[in-house]
Amino acid sequence: MKAEPTTQELRKLVADFRPGRGHVMPALHRIQDTYGYITRKAIEVVARQLNTTPALVYGTVSFYDDFRTEPPPETEIKWCSGPACHMRGGDRIRRALEAELNMPMGGHSDDHRYGLHLGQCNGTCHEAPQVWVNEKVVGNLSVVDAIHLARRVKGSE
Amino acid sequence: MNKQLQALIDSAQQKWAAERASGRPRVNVCVDTSSLARGAEETLQKMHEVARTQNIAVDINVTGSWGFCWLEPTVTVRTAAGTRTVLYAEITPDRVEEFLQQTVVEGVDIPEWALGVVEGNPTGEIDLLSDHPFMVGQVRRLMANCGTIDPGNIDHYLAHHGYEGFGHALEMSDEDIIKEMLDSGLGGRGGGGFPTGRKWDFLRNASASPRYMVCNADEGDPGSWVNRVLMEGDPHLIIEGMMIAALASNAREGYIYVRYEYPLAVERLQTAVDQAYEKGLLGTDILGTGFDFDMVVFRGAGSYVCGEETGLMSSIDAYRGMPRIKPPFPAQAGLWNMPTNVNNVESYANAPLIMRNGALWWSEVSDQKDKGTKMFTFSGCVNQPGCAEIPYGPTVRELIERYAGGLTEGSELKGFQAGGPLSGILPAHDADLPLALDPYRERGMFLGSGGIVFFDQHTNIVDLCLWMVSFCEFESCGRCTTCQGGSARAVELLRKMENGTARESDIERLRDLIQTLVWSNCLHGQFTLTSVKLALNFFEDEFHYVINHRRDPAGSLDGLHRYVVRSQTDPQLPDAVDICPASAFYDDNGTWTIDDELCVQCGACKEVAPNAIDVLDRFPAREHAAAAAGGS
Repeated sequence: MKAEPTTQELRKLVADFRPGRGHVMPALHRIQDTYGYITRKAIEVVARQLNTTPALVYGTVSFYDDFRTEPPPETEIKWCSGPACHMRGGDRIRRALEAELNMPMGGHSDDHRYGLHLGQCNGTCHEAPQVWVNEKVVGNLSVVDAIHLARRVKGSE
Repeated sequence: MNKQLQALIDSAQQKWAAERASGRPRVNVCVDTSSLARGAEETLQKMHEVARTQNIAVDINVTGSWGFCWLEPTVTVRTAAGTRTVLYAEITPDRVEEFLQQTVVEGVDIPEWALGVVEGNPTGEIDLLSDHPFMVGQVRRLMANCGTIDPGNIDHYLAHHGYEGFGHALEMSDEDIIKEMLDSGLGGRGGGGFPTGRKWDFLRNASASPRYMVCNADEGDPGSWVNRVLMEGDPHLIIEGMMIAALASNAREGYIYVRYEYPLAVERLQTAVDQAYEKGLLGTDILGTGFDFDMVVFRGAGSYVCGEETGLMSSIDAYRGMPRIKPPFPAQAGLWNMPTNVNNVESYANAPLIMRNGALWWSEVSDQKDKGTKMFTFSGCVNQPGCAEIPYGPTVRELIERYAGGLTEGSELKGFQAGGPLSGILPAHDADLPLALDPYRERGMFLGSGGIVFFDQHTNIVDLCLWMVSFCEFESCGRCTTCQGGSARAVELLRKMENGTARESDIERLRDLIQTLVWSNCLHGQFTLTSVKLALNFFEDEFHYVINHRRDPAGSLDGLHRYVVRSQTDPQLPDAVDICPASAFYDDNGTWTIDDELCVQCGACKEVAPNAIDVLDRFPAREHAAAAAGGS
């Protein structure tokens, strides 16, 4: 895992963003793209750079499903919640993954080695039902396939 | 034509011609989100590797999608002499070596992998692509460049009439541009159908400035990916459309708001914007005309409600994507409270076609009230989940048969869902409705932005409603109690049905909620229960059946089922015990039993040991269910 960025590093990273120009989201994206997540310090740095408050910046981070306030797990299984997947047993795959990994949707293991994330349909419905493992599609899954996948990710298989 | 623009076009055409006259065969690999899901990146790498190691003289390029999403990766091969181009399907990495050897080195076709001849004559073994059943009836205008040009190369776009529409618009007055748009009859492609020209005119007549041009590329309706195909296949078409709109309405800055789930679209749009700046098509004093226009590609971060135009604007200028109350409408007070126009990707993409070819050409493709072509994507219980562009008018059933490849084996169409989770569910007999806006409006829903999802007898209607309303609940911004509380309550009621604890009166409670959610401030809350409303219109019996009998013939309401061990001696039973992710099997004095409390009804045991496991109804039969249906 990368070390948490310092205030100085963060300030440098967002130095070109300006208040009142719609730069909050781009600044947060840049931080997450660089460090994988948005730290408490980052929220304060962005607030100061953009002449707003940490409350408003945190409000932004928490509003969107894909901003993170914790480091991403090494291996993330993103489960597709889309309709084509749903009609082909997607919910059963979800419950099997949650049971096998022993975590709710959105959870991660204590050591951040693996986690489960709710994904939105991106129109690769020809692969339904599917999950993404670190953004790579693993499609046409049976429930059994999904369980084996989870076991491999856990290291128990 | 503007001289600077003409020079750009001339130079691009020369480069295009030189590329085609390289004397080498040309291989184009479709790389988009759909093909990447099916290994296109690996195919592309393998192409380069094989060409390098085997010293094959070939030009390898990237294109967008032809719409054959279920047959990706698709690849075209153009002969060295340029006499013929053939489109091939499913060129997976393991086929690359043989593929290059035959088509490029030996110059021989592979008919069994071919979809059709794109350029040149059919061979007897390979028909013209335009005669392929999937292509017959399609009119590729928006998608004309999808699959044929490199979306990362502005010269390819310029060499195919790119920015010509903008060139025409430069020679027209604001009024004439808007008149042409109005004459075309183009209606908003996001689903509303509001005349695009009128929207532009509102902005043109706004009293304040600066004015903003916003493209809604937050295509969040699950099962809809028409905008993605365009953004990944021909990004300049959208940029040009926004430039025309800006020219007509005096806007100086544009934002393309793209959802987080489309990173490749963001990348391609950003590349396109950068290249447009380099060519002087964006920025200040564009092409020496004095027209200034800047463009920003703005990434969302995972929020469906940002696809609502005021939520989208909040996401840009106020951080949290909370929808605002209308009026004021965006043309009066949009981004930073200044006049703003918001259109869908496909609406903007039509503008260059109208400017280039005229309103008449554009509109006469369709004899319907709704003009022009429309892109559709289809998924669910069909054989060919893909993307097609057709004039409005054919029926949904024709769409299934002609483009979606028919229903999957064993499927009987039960209904379909168009327009996303805020729209409705229609029964199978409505598949005879034409693809046009009015018939869906008359049923209290909308055809929407182009995604249609088909379902069969294996989907319970309560389950489908639960899926749709859960989505809306999850995505509610939380401002209106009617929406946030109402959708949560509706999910609870539907869950009770799913779990066999609902009463007849719960249907009335759902009806009450339908009445109160419409008071929500934005479309999201107002339409969250459209699915339930229409389901109660067309499938009411199924709700009563689920509530009173606690039975689910469709087999998709998992809460009404339980898994039990049928055969203790089945040789696959140990596999079932082993696969259970919930450790629900326990050994009760030599008898394997499934603990209902632990079982998550995932069905994995049944998959590995179909003869050892039974799926039973969770609840005993209700002999007086019919009587119960009478009272509540």
